[in-house]
Parts: sequence; structure tokens; C-alpha cells
Amino acid sequence: MNNDLPSTTRGFCGRTRREFLWQTGAGFSGAALASMLNQDGFLEAQENRADGTPWENPLKARKPHYPAKAKSVIFLYMYGGPSHIDTFDYKPNMVGMDGKTVDVKTFGRGGHRNKGRIVEPRWKFKQYGECGKWISDLFPNLATCVDDMAFIKSMTADSPIHGSAMLQMNSGKILSGSPCLGSWVNYGLGSVNENLPGFVVMLDPRGGPISGAKNWSSGYMPATYQATVMRAEGTPIFNLTPHGNPKPGLQRDVLNALQAYNAEHLDQRAGNSDLAARIANYELAYKMQTTAPEAVDLAQESQQTMELYGINESRSASFGRQCLMARRLVERGVRFVQIYSGGNHNDANWDAHGDLEHNHNLHAGETDRPIAGLLKDLKERGMLDDTLIIWGGEFGRQPTAEYAKGSGRDHNSYGFTMWMAGGGVKGGTEIGTTDELGSAAVDDRYHVKNIHATILHLMGLDPNQLSYFYGGLDQKLVGVEEVKPIQTLLA
Amino acid sequence: MTPTKFRILKIRPSLLFCLVLVSSVPNLAAAAEDDSFFKTKVLPVLKENCFECHGGSPKVRGGLVLTSKEGVLKGGESGAVVDLESPHSSLLLEAVRYEAYEMPPSGKLPDESIAVFEKWLELGLPYEGDYTSKDLATAVMAPEVNETNKQFWSFRPLSRPLVPALEHTDWIRDDVDHFIYAKLAEAGLKPSNEASKTQWIRRVYYDLLGLPPSPSEVRAFVQDSSPAAYEKVVDKLLESPHYGEKWARHWLDLVRYAESNSYERDGTKPHVWRYRDYVIRSFNQDKPYDQFLTEQLAGDELDRVTPESIIATGYYRLGRWDDEPADPKLAKYDDLDDIVATTGQTFLGLTINCARCHDHKIDPIPQADYYSFLSFFENIRRYGVRSNDTVVAASVREIASKEQKAAQQTEIEAHEEEVADNNRKLEAFLKSVKNDFQPVEHEDFKHEMNRIPLVEKRVGSVINQEQFDQFVNLEKQRKQLKRFRPSALDSALCVKEHGSAPPKTHILIRGNPHVPGEEVQPAFLSILSPPEPQVSTPKHGESTGRRLALARWLTDPENPLTARVAANRIWQYLFGRGIVRSASDFGFQGTPPTHPELLDYLAAELIEGGWKLKPLQRRLVLSASYRMGSAMQPDAYDRDPANDLFWRYESRRLTAEELRDSMLEVNGSLNTQKMYGPSIFTQIPAEVLAGQSRPGSGWGNSSEEDRRRRSIYIHVKRSLVDPFLAAFDAADTDNTCPVRFVTTQPTQALALLNSEFVNEQAGIFAENLRAQGGTTEQHVRTALSRVLQRTPTSDEVQRGTDLINRLKAEYDMESDEALRNFCLIALNLNEFMYLD
Repeated sequence: MNNDLPSTTRGFCGRTRREFLWQTGAGFSGAALASMLNQDGFLEAQENRADGTPWENPLKARKPHYPAKAKSVIFLYMYGGPSHIDTFDYKPNMVGMDGKTVDVKTFGRGGHRNKGRIVEPRWKFKQYGECGKWISDLFPNLATCVDDMAFIKSMTADSPIHGSAMLQMNSGKILSGSPCLGSWVNYGLGSVNENLPGFVVMLDPRGGPISGAKNWSSGYMPATYQATVMRAEGTPIFNLTPHGNPKPGLQRDVLNALQAYNAEHLDQRAGNSDLAARIANYELAYKMQTTAPEAVDLAQESQQTMELYGINESRSASFGRQCLMARRLVERGVRFVQIYSGGNHNDANWDAHGDLEHNHNLHAGETDRPIAGLLKDLKERGMLDDTLIIWGGEFGRQPTAEYAKGSGRDHNSYGFTMWMAGGGVKGGTEIGTTDELGSAAVDDRYHVKNIHATILHLMGLDPNQLSYFYGGLDQKLVGVEEVKPIQTLLA
Repeated sequence: MTPTKFRILKIRPSLLFCLVLVSSVPNLAAAAEDDSFFKTKVLPVLKENCFECHGGSPKVRGGLVLTSKEGVLKGGESGAVVDLESPHSSLLLEAVRYEAYEMPPSGKLPDESIAVFEKWLELGLPYEGDYTSKDLATAVMAPEVNETNKQFWSFRPLSRPLVPALEHTDWIRDDVDHFIYAKLAEAGLKPSNEASKTQWIRRVYYDLLGLPPSPSEVRAFVQDSSPAAYEKVVDKLLESPHYGEKWARHWLDLVRYAESNSYERDGTKPHVWRYRDYVIRSFNQDKPYDQFLTEQLAGDELDRVTPESIIATGYYRLGRWDDEPADPKLAKYDDLDDIVATTGQTFLGLTINCARCHDHKIDPIPQADYYSFLSFFENIRRYGVRSNDTVVAASVREIASKEQKAAQQTEIEAHEEEVADNNRKLEAFLKSVKNDFQPVEHEDFKHEMNRIPLVEKRVGSVINQEQFDQFVNLEKQRKQLKRFRPSALDSALCVKEHGSAPPKTHILIRGNPHVPGEEVQPAFLSILSPPEPQVSTPKHGESTGRRLALARWLTDPENPLTARVAANRIWQYLFGRGIVRSASDFGFQGTPPTHPELLDYLAAELIEGGWKLKPLQRRLVLSASYRMGSAMQPDAYDRDPANDLFWRYESRRLTAEELRDSMLEVNGSLNTQKMYGPSIFTQIPAEVLAGQSRPGSGWGNSSEEDRRRRSIYIHVKRSLVDPFLAAFDAADTDNTCPVRFVTTQPTQALALLNSEFVNEQAGIFAENLRAQGGTTEQHVRTALSRVLQRTPTSDEVQRGTDLINRLKAEYDMESDEALRNFCLIALNLNEFMYLD
């Protein structure tokens, strides 16, 4: 075990006493304090007392368990559940079967069924790349990146209902209240850029996903590890802009006065690390007001890049901007970025219960260019090697129709497809199969837990070791039973 | 802790796409003749597919070892896996056929391999060799329930320790001080100097009321040199109605109080606020803790059931509720587990919940004890089944008496008529809209949150704007009618059971609800050598009486844990940390008490004082220990950096609620007059609402007057927390929270400097100061004395006036705005946010 991992404090709620002696000796003025705080890494520089209960910046960068393949993750979350047999899981035998009734057991929002009317895949498939994988016409641009992509075509999840299934994809549990994947990554590795949040979520302009903030909560871990929602337009982070558009220099003056009061207060309370940390955090917040907008300022990007991400086209502009923001954030050391394709309810996301063609054309159309652009851009900049891309929703969709009429498909957690690319993943590969209809995974079946284990593993964290003590138990993202990463797809 | 889920049947399309079987089915009969059948046929399949998890590597799954004959015959946690009498019904075969467990989990074996297993069992399980991993982890033995473990400090019977005798004891003010002083003296340390009067009054106001003292209250206390000055303050605070608002908040953290259900709809729990009010009132009345506990666990099973005792059982309805669980049986046991976890940790300080799937790995709590404990709750009806009506059926009860109803008969009838009228109009209107619904929309429409959006979608097609507006008005009226009902129709969210017939409870193998094991009976935790539960069915016959039996045992003075846990919490909430720091874990993994005798003394005092909290709190805040200052003593710090011995008082940050309430209090706008009632809605900025799938859904508008009420009255929605409270570590409501985090993050600084909320408070503060007239210097002085609750120094005042002057001169700022900026600083001061 690596000693740099956060201690799983035996205190309840992980509370520790954070005590350290302020190392500056004599008292100091607000101005001196401000200049000292302005040095990068101020929090890291604090010396700890060797007393077993040192003050520790909870987001201090930590060494992984073993050398990491990926430094950052970008999780492209296809909210609602894209249909695998219409995208990446090619089912040639279904062609010509449209409308026929088959015996097939399904379980979705409409409950358990034993037979159904086949809705054959609505898009044509073609082979792409050197690997010759089949991809549907929904993703003409993304398909050109296929040699960098690794598919898991035998995914399974515990629930075919959005609420619990999304919680499982994001936090490993179907019950709400557990920390999300991005929280675990930041808990395990800390942040290498204290001026930006370590876990960022970007939402679809049509709305958040159901259950809202539960999908990026730190659950039973402290709020330090929860995601920060970042916006592509307007103020990127909540509360980032000073109130009432103050004149240049004004906020600094106000802050200096505040820090002078606070410094004096601290001076009479030597040894109170919380007070010192709070003073430092004002300076961090102040800096963040400049660094965060800069990090997501797309005006610094070339026209060519904007086009690469599809930002020049109205339908893909929004997701394209978010993908480009993700690249810029990852460049600056942000550990975990999650972007939602789809928001709100029904056809505002991939939840194609009614008109499958309308729905998937819309959402694939919005994301195809941006995702291809992201992969190509990262590759060209040499960043794809240590940036792990994950694509998928909370489940897939059924091979049969949900209703008597129409092409809408109900949810399917018995079998679906996800793909990964970049950081430590072997491109142009795949593992697992579903049956001929894509109704269920049959060979080399994997569970959401295996995806989580794979992500942690590639980030250099042992999924079966990374734990947080809560509720009488060493809690793990992957649960108490040992879970293996999907080795076959790793480079 | 969710048990491994498994599906009963795995499904394949069969008619159209039959797999063409590989035709080389081996000649089993011939092979069977051969002794080498095992080695040539069985072993390769086992090695390839089974050994890794079942004996071939250090970690064994499901307790099943297949790497030796002995292991196969022994079976695993689910019992025997082979039945040599009737081999074809063996669990092993069911598992590989994917009829029960799906083994191996990565995918079903080819039919020929399954045939090999069948033959192997028919042959009577020939086995050669032992392939068990040498590193096979010997399963960590769960601690046993035995005499030695029964002597663990928290399981031992409670006995009242003697107060340590001390020689020179000027410092002592109360018996509890003896315990603190004795330990310090033993270590050669001294208690810190007494806190100043201004520090102490601030501390005690926050600890008892969660609010700051006003400058005049501080002045009066500082000037009162009578020996009873401290007592006078404490007695006043304990009589204040705002005491309950502070202490109820602690309790609500423990019972993970929230007013919505989480998951997709995150629907609002009906009448849940009455439980919050019940808790506030109970603290204010100084209700004995044993009664408080009993009402919550079994208020409906008492000899005398009152509206209050029914409301108290809302305790069972505060958790998450998945209204469309993928596996309803699993959901039932997840819900019960939530109750076992909360009850065990809150009342007993034990993580009984860790014994759901197997014996507790750390504490002597066998799995059977978990299910025996669960059986007290087994008969409880699930919160609801999907729709709101089912929630009302399973979890809501009217609480008014017959007399009350009779007295309001006319009013009730009028109300019912209005409801019927509103309903008729809505139905008539919805006819055309519903005709236009997709099948899925009919289902969606059953949920509150979807009603208006689904109708709005049809403006311009089925309906016009005017009709839509009419609909919105009818909906408003419907909600109003629901909210404001004649008091005789008052209802409570409460527990209900399936009747009086005792249900059966089985141990669930590995926590799997589909694999019941042995039946268990209601019983208390065996490590505590408890009595037999005395269950008697209540007269009303609507429940089993089991919960009352549990409550009686929990509040039995012989129970060693209940009083210790409660006394520890009282100490914790006054001294910043418990005598046992892991306030809800008194088991082997918890942190041991720093002052075990003191803890037992307090527990004994609590029981002897009739379980009343206030007398104990009064003594504690008047003790010399509580009067200690928080200043550093370098030598003590070197020897005891964690302050285990309490050589000083622990400085603390205000909680999220204290911080918000204090901002409103110091700027003169806190509405403390209005207490109780339905929760209020703060203004949540659009950026935060944007995280919801329907921005704004489930969050209402409250009047300005209501928005200025104390934080405990803010609606607690699981998926949407007021961002200011969330930033300052308000408790997460999905799990019981015994100790809050205290994080320090840049987002807090951003919220305090830039948020609408704090800037608005600064504005009100400035306005309030100006309204009193006076000079800038006077404004600064008043502002500082309100936030710091002491007289500011002339330097501090000077710094403020300098800033205001500079802002006016250099930035051409109006006086009002300059003062507002200063007020913003005042609300950001560390001294405002931290107690010495």
C-alpha cells in the first residue's frame, strides 16, 4: 500500500483534527500575507506536525498505487440510454425481421415481457478503419476514429430504470448516497491544479439529468470531492463573478482589508490551521476568478479547431464547445470531466420510447462531430495517450418495440455497449457479445463495476484497495467483492 | 453493502436464432468408464472457469471451494452445492445452467461443458488431487459472542463510577470537572485559562440556540458581576423556544431527515414537517429521552396513542424511496436495512447493518442477530407502491379526534366540495389533452412533476395559451386545497404495519432476498446478554407490537448502550467532539472513550435524572471544563496535539445553519417569531436549478417574510440542496450523520464574497445601519460589534472607516455602496465564523 493515500480515518464521517502550528513565527500584515498566499502551492507548503493528526489539504496531489496510464478521464455520458444495436453492436441477422414477433424476455420500464415485435436496426452499418469494425450511419465522423476505440459489447447493469441505473453508472450503487466516480478519482489522486476544480460536470442545455445533483454528489465523503458544474456560456462556475461588476482593483482592496482583519485574528490564535486554511482559500478563490474563465475561453482556439469540434454547426455547437472545454480543462490538470449528452426528459435525451429515428438522429447528430473532434484533437496534441475517454449511457435499449405502433425501444440493462479510447486502452478492439438480437449479453459479460474498476486501474488506482471508511465499513466504489478491470482491452 | 443481485432467468431469443450446436458431443459413456474422466474432462473445465474464484486464488467467493473434493462436498454460503442422491437437482448444475446463480458470471458455458458437470455428478463426484491455492486466505473470523467480548467497555453493564477525589480543587465547578482535571493532572497538564466572558457567552448562545447574543445581551452579562451571572444566562437560554430549533437540527442529522424521496421524481413527502416540529417541541419540553425514543419507534403501539406519538413514527418514513425498483424484493430489504442502519447507529451506536450479508467482520454481531433485529421492522408496510395514493394508503393517517372532526363538519364538507369541483373541472379540461397522449405520457402524468410540462407541450396544437393558463390556475388551486385543509383533516406521515399477525423473517444468504435461509425470531443483540423480547399485540390490532418491545429494551436502564450513546452526544454537541469520537460507532472499530469513567458517570446521571437532557446540559455548560479558553498551550500541544485530555476548549466553525441564521440575525432581518409549519423555500439561483431535469421542479416560492426564517425550516429536498447550506457542509440526507464534516474550500470563499445571497444580506445590513443614523465610524463600530459580539478595538474601526473612505475616493463609490462593501467584509470575518 502506498503511504500517500488518504488515511481512512477511523473517526466517523472521516473527521480528523487538523492541527498544525503556523510556521511564520511573528505576526504579519495583510499585505505580506497576501503576497505569500499568492505563491502557487501555498497549501501544499504547509508543514505538518508529526503528531499523527496533521493538517492535510484534502486535494493534495497524491501518488497512485502504481504507475498510471491515464492522468485524466473524460466521460461522455449518453443520458437516457442509447440503443446499442443501432449504433455499435451490428446485428446483420435482424435485417428483414422488422415487425415479426419473437419470443424474447425483456425487462424495462414497461416491466417484464416474454415476446415482442422486432424493430430492426434503423441505420445501415459499414466497416471502418484498419480493424474493420462495423459502425452505423449515425456516427460517420466518429467512425473514422474506430482504430482508437475499444468496445465492450457485453455490458450489464442491475437496473433498467433511469433513476437507479444512473446512480449505479455514476456511483456504483443503485441506492442514492454514495460518492461518484469523479469523487473517488479525486479522493485517490488529489488535484495537480489547485486553481481549478478536480471534478467537473457539464450539463445539456435542455436540463440536467433526472435526480440532478445526486449524479455528481460526493455522498458520504466530504463536499471537497463533489463535482463543480461548469457552463459553456456566461459565468463558467457558480458564484465566480464578483457582485455588481466592480471596477478593476476594487475587489483586491476589499479582500486586503478582509485579510488584514483575518490575519490579526489568526495572530492571536497560533496553531489554528483551519483559520489559516480559510485565509488561503480566499486567495485561491480570488485566483480562480481569473484562471477558470481563462481555462474555458474558447476565443483562444483557432477557427480550424472550432470546426473540428463541430462548433460552427448549430446542432453540434453546444456539445462541441463542451468537448473543447473538456480538452482545455484536462490540459490544465483537471482529473475528471463528465459531459452529458441529453437532459430533461423523454426525447430531450437518448430515451427513445417514441420515435427511435427522430431521437437518435437528433442526439447522434449533436455529438458525432464533437466526439470525433475531441479524439482527433487529443491525438494530434499527444494527449490521447494519457486521457481516457469513456462513452456510454446507463443502459442500452431493447430489440423489440415498446408499443403496438412505432419504433420506440424500452430500456435494456441485460446487454449494451460502451466504448473507451485513449489512456491505456488498446484501440480497434472489442470484447463480449450479445445474442443475435442484442437482447442480452452472452459471452464475456461485464458489469458496470468492471468499467469502474478499469477506469480506476488506468488511473493507477487499485479498485479493490481504494477505500473510504464510512458506516462501519471500508467502502469501495466497486463494492466489497473483488472486481477485475477488463484486461483484454488494455494496451 | 447491496447484496449481489441475481436474476432468476437469463433469457435468450429462441425461436428464430437457435444456436447451431457444435455437433461433437463427447462420448460420455465411454469416458465415464475411464477413471481419468475427472482429469481429462472435468478438471479442464473447472480450471478454466471456476478455480479462480473458488479456491485457486487467495480470495474465495461465496465461501465455495471447488479445488478439492472436500470443498465441493462442503458447499458454500448458500449451502450444499451437490446432492449426490439426486444429482440433477444439485445447485451446482442449476448454477451452470443459469437457472439459479449464473455461473460463471462472464457467460454461460457451452452445453458440452454443462453435460460434463452432469455426468460428473451422476458418477458420484470422482475427484483426484487438491488444487487449492497455498495462499488461500483463511477467512477472517468474525469476533464471537463470548464472555471475553461481552466485557468490551461499551457492552459492559453500566455502573456509576466514583467521582475522582482531588486535593487542590479551586478550578472545579461541577463533578464532571473532577474527571477532566484528574486526567490532566495525571499527565502533568493544566486546564487552559478561563475563556473571557464575551467568548463564553458567544459559545453558549451558539451551542444552545444556534444564534449569536445581541450586543446588549453581551453587555448585560459582562456587567453582571453577581455570582449567578452565568446561571442566569443559561437558564434563559434553556427556556428559549429557539433552543429546540438548535437541538432538533442535531437529531435531524442523525435520522437523515429529508422531505423528499430521491430518485427520478424525488417526490415530496406528505406532512413530513410535522415530524420536524415534533422534534423541536420535544426538545423544548425537555421530553425524557426514553419517551422520545419510544414515541419514534413505537408511538402507534403505546397504550395511549396521541396525535403526537403518531407523528413521531414518521421516523420510519424519512429515508430514500425508490418508487420503481428494478427488484421490488431487494428494495424492501434495502429499505429495512436503511432502518436497521439508522436505528442501530443512532440509538445503540452499533453498525448492525454490517452484518446483513455475513457475520459482522469487526464486532461480535452474527448475521442471525441482524435478521432478528430486522424482524422487529419486518411487518412495516413499504412507504408506498409508486403513486402518491399508495403513499397515503401506506404511510399517512389522520390525526384529529372524532370530536374535532364533528366540530368542523361544515368546514370539511365545504372543503370536500371545493376539491370535487376542482377535480371535475380538471378532468373536463384534461379529456382532450389526454386523448393526445403517447402511451408513455399517461404513465408520466401520474407524477406531480410531469403534469404541467405535459400539458404545456400541447399549447398551439390541442389547446391554446388561454386554456393552458386556465389549467395552470386549476392546478394552483388543487395544490392550495391540498395544502390548506381544515385542521380536522390534519394528517401525519407515519408508520403502518400489515396487521397484527407476526411475519416470518429468514436469514438471507449473503443478503440476497431471493435466497432465504433459516428462520429467525425477534431477539435483541446477543452480545448484550439481553432478555427475551416481550411482545404483546396492541389493542387496536393494527400491528404486531414488536416495535414497542424493541423500544422497551432500548430504554431499559439495563441496556448498556442507549444511555452511553445519548450522553456522549450531549457532550459532543457542547464540547465539539464526543468522549467517544466515533459517536455512532461504539464497537471494536470505534475510537475508545478518552474519559470512560466520565462517560459512564454522565450516562448514569442521565438515567437517574429521568432521561432529561436540560439538567445535564445546564451542568455541562456551567462547568469549569466548558469555561476553558481555546488558546494554544505549546507544551500541552506537544504532548497531546489531538486534545484528547481536554486541556483546552476546541474552537469550532459555525455550522451551515448557524452561519446563515447569524447573517440574518446580525443584519436585523431574521424572522424568529414564526416557528413550525410547512417548510419554506429559499431563492435558489438559476445556475443551480439548471442541474435539475426540470429546472425549478419541486421548489416553490416563499414570501419574503418566510424566506427570513431560520434554516431548520428550509425545505429539505434530496436532489436539490440550498447551495449556501451545501457549501458549508450541511449533512447529506441519504445516510445518518453523527458528525458533520468541516471542510475549507475555495467555493466557500466564492459563496461568501460573490453569491447573491450574501451580497443581499450585506445590503440589508448596510441599510439597517444607516436607518439608525450616525457617522460612518458609528456604522462600522455597530457592524463589528454585531458580528463579533464584542466591542471592536479602535484599530479595527479605523481599518473599516479607512476602507470606506478609500472606496469612495478611489473608486468613486457612493457612501451606501461603500458601507455595503464593508458589511460584506464583516460577514466574511473568520472571527464571525469561528467560536473560541
